Amino acid sequence: MRKHLAWILPLLALPVLWLLLWGMGTDKYTLPSPLEGAEAPTFHLETMDGDSVDLADLRGKAVLLNFWASWCIPCRQEHDVLKLTEATYDREDAVVLGVVYQDTEENARRFLAQLGGDWTQLLDPTQRTAIDFGVYGVPETFFIAPDGQIARKKVGPVTWDLVKPTLDSLIAAAPSRTAGGAP
Amino acid sequence: MSRGTRWRRAAALCLLAVAAPAVASGQEPVPTTAAPSTGEALTDREAERLDAEAARLAEELRCPVCRNQSVSESNAELSREMQALVRERLAAGETPEQVKAYFVSRYGEWILLEPERRGINWIVWLAPFGALIVGGGFAVWLLRRWTRAAPAAAAASPQAPGLSEENERWLRDALREG
Repeated sequence: MRKHLAWILPLLALPVLWLLLWGMGTDKYTLPSPLEGAEAPTFHLETMDGDSVDLADLRGKAVLLNFWASWCIPCRQEHDVLKLTEATYDREDAVVLGVVYQDTEENARRFLAQLGGDWTQLLDPTQRTAIDFGVYGVPETFFIAPDGQIARKKVGPVTWDLVKPTLDSLIAAAPSRTAGGAP
Repeated sequence: MSRGTRWRRAAALCLLAVAAPAVASGQEPVPTTAAPSTGEALTDREAERLDAEAARLAEELRCPVCRNQSVSESNAELSREMQALVRERLAAGETPEQVKAYFVSRYGEWILLEPERRGINWIVWLAPFGALIVGGGFAVWLLRRWTRAAPAAAAASPQAPGLSEENERWLRDALREG
């Protein structure tokens, strides 16, 4: 009996140890989003220039939807990548949209005047769109396929290594680009 | 036999003491069917009921910013908006379950402070009791073994306690010589 116990006790501790090690290896700040692969929530938001944008009108194009704020340091880090994205892609293929999150319009304008970038900026004063997209911090970026599905969500600053292949594959898969035409 | 019964009764009591609060808090109030009151002015009573319902639901939702607080406890801007949204949805005629399902569809099940009681989630709910039973059983077995082994060992061995065979032989020889 004693001999058995000498084996059983350490064996019982193994799953606990495994769980501990696994927990240490995961990033507790990044949560899996149930929205990946799902239809993007619709929105109709005003832009900072007084226009409005309806996500449904952008069907057929890849959309990079970026939630950001002027007070967010990682947003500053990724800003050049977004500028590069805007400069690289034809607006008929891919559209960059910013959503100002928990920030004043004035501060957002100052940020953009300082760092540049003239893609469309949307205002979400009630944060309903942010909640609809399950946003919990900024920056958060959604890659929306031409068919309206959320292909990917990135929490934290995006890099060109992520943006380029993701958008390229979404554009390549767009129905108008394939030989068959409309699905 | 009486000893066995006593053990069993004590174990049952311990289990009950631990499990009772958990079971009690786990009882969810029956979801009331929300009144279809969109667009109409709410009576004071309806508004009060909505407020209470929204507050209760907000206690079950996790604040996405602060994480270990509920939406109702949190002062984060996002939490306040979420609480307002909960109330709006209830006022629009959604049931509490539908409101929760909406947040789960956006944030994942993580948004619920208590995991739902289904499927693999039962591990989280039942593992503590399982651990208690296994650990308690082991402790009881060990205690009984120790308390039984000591007198038995003393009775079985004619040796003076704590002396090795060699020392005892030496002691016996010394006493004989003396």
